[in-house]
Amino acid sequence: MRDLFRLFPLVRKQIVRQPLRSGLTLSGVAVAMFLFCAVEAMRAGVEQATRVTADDTVLVVYRENRYCPFTSRLPQYYGDRIEALPGVLSAVPMKIEVSNCRASLDVVTFRGVPEAAFLEHFVPGFTFVEGSVDDWRNHGGAALVGEALAIRRGVHAGDQLDAAGITVKVAGIIRSTEPQDENVAYTHLSFLQEVSQRGGTGGEVTQFQVKVDDPQKLEAIAQSIDAEFARDSDPTSTRPEKAFVAAAAGDVLEIVRFASWLGWGALAAVFALVANAIVLAVRDRVREHAILETVGFVPRQIGTLIVMEGTILGLLGGIVGAIGALILTQQRFSIGMEGLSIEIASDPSVVLSGLLLSVALGLGAGLVPALRASRRPIATSFRAV
Amino acid sequence: MSLIECRQLTKKYTRGDNEIIPLDELDLSIEAGAFLALMGPSGSGKTTLLNLIAGIDRPTAGELRVEGTDIARLSRSKLARWRSTHIGYIFQLYHLVPVLTAYENVELPLLIQPISRKERHARVAQALELAGIADRHDHYPRQLSGGQEQRVAIARSLVTDPPILLADEPTGDLDRASSKAILELLLRLNTELGKTLIIVTHDPTTTHYAKETLHLEKGRLVSEAPPALAAEVKSAGDGRGERDA
Repeated sequence: MRDLFRLFPLVRKQIVRQPLRSGLTLSGVAVAMFLFCAVEAMRAGVEQATRVTADDTVLVVYRENRYCPFTSRLPQYYGDRIEALPGVLSAVPMKIEVSNCRASLDVVTFRGVPEAAFLEHFVPGFTFVEGSVDDWRNHGGAALVGEALAIRRGVHAGDQLDAAGITVKVAGIIRSTEPQDENVAYTHLSFLQEVSQRGGTGGEVTQFQVKVDDPQKLEAIAQSIDAEFARDSDPTSTRPEKAFVAAAAGDVLEIVRFASWLGWGALAAVFALVANAIVLAVRDRVREHAILETVGFVPRQIGTLIVMEGTILGLLGGIVGAIGALILTQQRFSIGMEGLSIEIASDPSVVLSGLLLSVALGLGAGLVPALRASRRPIATSFRAV
Repeated sequence: MSLIECRQLTKKYTRGDNEIIPLDELDLSIEAGAFLALMGPSGSGKTTLLNLIAGIDRPTAGELRVEGTDIARLSRSKLARWRSTHIGYIFQLYHLVPVLTAYENVELPLLIQPISRKERHARVAQALELAGIADRHDHYPRQLSGGQEQRVAIARSLVTDPPILLADEPTGDLDRASSKAILELLLRLNTELGKTLIIVTHDPTTTHYAKETLHLEKGRLVSEAPPALAAEVKSAGDGRGERDA
């Protein structure tokens, strides 16, 4: 440990006084770590949105064989029949309108919900960043906008939000632990039904959000709902909410899984980059290391110098890359598809793991060159130059 | 007991199919306070002998004692620590670290010594002063002339106050005036500070500063300089007025 303190000033001078070499290595590490953190943030968002947990109690009832809010139409009166089924606590009808049905990074999703159900089942889970629920209640064309969507679109309470041919007044900005709530605008159901009559009529909704009394019965109740409407003109497909998101986002999940390989590829690139930079630096400094040993540095200290340099470059590059990824995720991007949103989350654990990995890679990349340099006989080193 | 004692000192290595013997059963004793010039043709074993005394290289056979320590038996790490307090090494091409200033180059050997920053600073300042390069302490090697670089290298070799200074052709890359200045500096270190000085050189002028000159040929000491070298030394001696001036 004492060696580290003694040698640090020397390592610092080597890094700072060779700005081109250090800068190139550092920027390479930073770009790779940015890619890794961004991809990992995306993966973390997907995981958070689709991980089914044992205490999930929410089902989503959709029109069978429909995969987009534009085409899923269910009669609103289904709600009463669903609520009558054993184990169902509530069935909230929901009209969904989206600005883009395909996968996109900037989808605006409107969710129309009945006022009473909204106040009872949704509002208690919200924290109001701006505005209030009263403003929403008092204005038929008002919307409560999720914070991520508000940041992305740059709107505040009192502004207007235009998307998908719908204009709403922003009555409040809400924060929620549910990723879906962060990326939608909640409107009155009747308002959304009225403004979005594309070949349909009022009394139609896109889906029902069903709350059950026992997480253990989730699958059984889903089957009983689908059985209830199997012979109706609009049969249903009911799944746990997280499974519904996972199914709707199937294509995106595949892409994210592939991207996560790219993230690991970026890490491998970091390793190769730092190792290459260190190998070249060590080769250039064969004579310098021989001088150090001539003036009394022991081989272990020479190895430590090399490993420290790799580790510091890895750490600095990792910090720059992680900051870049953090800035990106602060924009609250979300991948929207079929009315659902998966937020690219700025999870601190992703940043921390990225930093630890870049340090570990820098350290690992320096080990072999350090070992070789510390074992090379001095006389051979002087003869080599 | 002599400061440096070599008994049957031999160094061999192979290059391809050939066995090369730079030093062949050399016997040599060097007393403390000596100023010894080692001369001889290229490949005669001068630098090899210097490297063995510094512990930079290891003998193949024989014994080498410096201040009573059989340095061939020391491990590489122990040898490095021993060298830091016993040996100051001056190279022909100075071998300064390019990204460090003159001050920082001189400070290098002290970074690993258990001394305070204040003492380190004092020692570096003193060494730079002794070498006559204190006014260039914040210059990088690329900003110094050859003679100035060699002064920094000498300051670095002095900074740990070792009893033995080894110099491998210290004037080999310098012009005449710079060579003279460096040799005078080395002479002062020998006479005023009592450093034992061993210089490998091809420059006959050096012999006039040294108290003793030894000639090596094919890894062995020869009693007299080869005729061609003797003539060179004589001719250089005729112009020694420069040193006395």
